[in-house]
Amino acid sequence: MPTGFERLFIEEYPRIAAIAGRVLADQAAAEDVAQEVFLDLHRRFGDDPGANAPAWLRAAAVHTALNTIRARHRRAARELRYTDGGDAGRDPEAALEAAETGRLVRAALARIPRRHAAVLALRYSGLSYTEMASALGVGVNTVGTRLRRAEARLRKEVGDASL
Amino acid sequence: MHPSDGTLRRWLDEPVAIEAATRQHLAACSRCAGRLGRIGADASRAAVLLAVPAPAADVEAARARFARTEGTAQLNAPGVRSGRVPAPARRSAVRAQRVMVGVAIAATASVVVVVTGASQDFLSLFQPEQLAPVPVTIADVRSLSGLTSYGNVHADGSLHLQPEPNAAAAGQAAGVAVPVIHHVPSGASASPSYAVVAGGVVSFTFDATLARAAAARAGGDLPPMPKGLDGSTLTVSIAPAVVISYGFDAASLYQGGSLPTGNEAFVVVASRTPTVSTTGVTMRQLEAYLLSVPGIPAEVASELRALGNPEQTVPVPIPIDLASASTVSINGAPGLLIGDSTQLGSVVVWTHNGVVDAVAGTLSSSEALGVARSVH
Repeated sequence: MPTGFERLFIEEYPRIAAIAGRVLADQAAAEDVAQEVFLDLHRRFGDDPGANAPAWLRAAAVHTALNTIRARHRRAARELRYTDGGDAGRDPEAALEAAETGRLVRAALARIPRRHAAVLALRYSGLSYTEMASALGVGVNTVGTRLRRAEARLRKEVGDASL
Repeated sequence: MHPSDGTLRRWLDEPVAIEAATRQHLAACSRCAGRLGRIGADASRAAVLLAVPAPAADVEAARARFARTEGTAQLNAPGVRSGRVPAPARRSAVRAQRVMVGVAIAATASVVVVVTGASQDFLSLFQPEQLAPVPVTIADVRSLSGLTSYGNVHADGSLHLQPEPNAAAAGQAAGVAVPVIHHVPSGASASPSYAVVAGGVVSFTFDATLARAAAARAGGDLPPMPKGLDGSTLTVSIAPAVVISYGFDAASLYQGGSLPTGNEAFVVVASRTPTVSTTGVTMRQLEAYLLSVPGIPAEVASELRALGNPEQTVPVPIPIDLASASTVSINGAPGLLIGDSTQLGSVVVWTHNGVVDAVAGTLSSSEALGVARSVH
């Protein structure tokens, strides 16, 4: 009989890795973050963390990933490393443009207010507004307002970078 | 009173979660339409900027890695604590359930809209027999309805749901055989309600002057036009659809009623495939040209180009920020499973003998497939 934690791991791991991946654009780094937050949860709450654990994990994943990217942003020389090697089949010029856009987006996520970066990562990882509200600890009506401001801010930060 | 930016933003993603009075306001207010356009444009751009390669987490490998790490950690620091994660400051399980159902219904409506070829629809539909997933954002779908930038769209009909008292009446009203569902998951109500979505005709007439202006706004020039394109018309005839809902009443929901708060809820939808005709140019010429004009989102265009034979294939939009899709077989017919990676619900859509069927709701993938495969 699997424990509550084991069931939680199986059900939530892909999404937790996806949330971190949305911030980092790097699957290996995202899985490192996912491992870290599950480890943290298990050490804090053991084998039966309860019904609120998914929201806790999602918040932890987005903030841990943002911490990672902000630390990396301070080491600009290393940024190109996480601007995605997943498009090996594309033409080199397009890949270069995608890498540059990825770099700009990651830099923007590191620069904009954390509450904006967090809501962007959660939304585009597929969370509903209710789930975002739980993870962020805000009312569901606040989520839409925050997301709207975050998207406008991202547009300003990234400007007209080619897509 | 005009709704807030936050409400407009949510409307783009979870329209059914917005109060009926607000939805009615949005349908009539030109000022809010302008605001919605700006908000949608930012959302669409954010979705593209934040797109990452599809994750491929190997859960078993991750479990093994976790076990190795945690085993080592416990040796070094014994005494794992126990307890429950405290409740967040704000949480509403009832609200969560309402949103889940709302998203599932919105997903169904999206499939029905596209499979039946409503207005975003440079998509070519020739009573096709195959389905193909096309990753889009919800904001993309809305921006694609800006086909009006390239010509004149005329729609006759709506997606209004008319309640029907029973299966026979629904079948008669829709002119399609009503699906019989032999398997209802435990936890869902066994007694369904019936409704019919009226059919209609949508036409799009290409206008070179409008298209040239749209291309200029997008910062480009129109590619050379094939002979006969200017003034050519695409007409999609949409068949009525039967909607069978379990666990809630889809018709009353769309008339402002409340969503369920408890058990699983799902719908089964059936409609004859649409028919399409064109004048002036062939469907392939029209689609190829529209895909080449400036302003069409690059990802959508490339996916559509990859479809192969557009006269045999229905593109089904899969929200990239909500779900993933995989091909499935439903009693020998080709179909798509739009997965529950969102944990909000699942959708299965398949086509056979000139009919498109869909199952959608707050079901797991396996439950949705079980329902779909029990339909006869």
